[in-house]
Amino acid sequence: MRALLGSLRSLLFGETWSLPLGVAGALCAALLLRSALPQGLWGHAGGFLIAALVAAALTLSLRLGR
Amino acid sequence: MAVVALCLALGPALLSGADLGLLRVLIGSLLLLFGLEWLRKGVLRMAGRRRRSSAFEEYAEEREELASGAPSDWAARLVAFKGVFLEGLEVGLIVLALGGTPGRLAPALAGTAVALLLVVGIGLLLHAPLRRLPETQLKLGVGVALTSFGTFFSAEGLGVRWPFGDAALLYLAAGFAAVAWLATRRLRLAAPVPAG
Repeated sequence: MRALLGSLRSLLFGETWSLPLGVAGALCAALLLRSALPQGLWGHAGGFLIAALVAAALTLSLRLGR
Repeated sequence: MAVVALCLALGPALLSGADLGLLRVLIGSLLLLFGLEWLRKGVLRMAGRRRRSSAFEEYAEEREELASGAPSDWAARLVAFKGVFLEGLEVGLIVLALGGTPGRLAPALAGTAVALLLVVGIGLLLHAPLRRLPETQLKLGVGVALTSFGTFFSAEGLGVRWPFGDAALLYLAAGFAAVAWLATRRLRLAAPVPAG
């Protein structure tokens, strides 16, 4: 049963907790930035901000190692 | 079969009734989860922190275990199902996201059919030399591609207009490849692999 639950968790979230939490954090931060920045600025620069947040999530996950 | 059934069951409803922005964020998030996991493992392998990937060795080990009459293992079956299911789901999600815009479903499906034929044809013709390709680097490349698609769709769903349109995927891939290279380098320097 434990192995089955572990497999299900791995199916949904992969091997770590830091990556799913990092992706969730990046998207929440993107939503906050979208509401805080002027619409035109978000439309042009928002993609690069999201890419930077995603890269930060990967770096953090590698640093934490779990 | 499970992936085809899932796409057939949910695809039309998602494409016709759902808010396209929300759908793109959802699909982008899933692609980011899959892609970043591949990317993380690829970086760890390239930095020597994890055993290099070899699907052929894994296949041989699995075959040996089955031949030895080991008791049936549902967790192993689930993991094998997960592997194949996720690969197919990644393709399904990309096709759904690309085909979400009116008029783009047919080209997306046609592209998928051509890609499927190409992959099967290349697999049949080149299976022996393909085994000698550097699998770790290939998987790292898949991670870069999935992460780029995930970022692209998530941002589009949140109202971003990418400079140069779909070509943004190329500079996103270059950016994530650079991040992976830097992370590999940092990990190697932090704990150098002993020579010899």
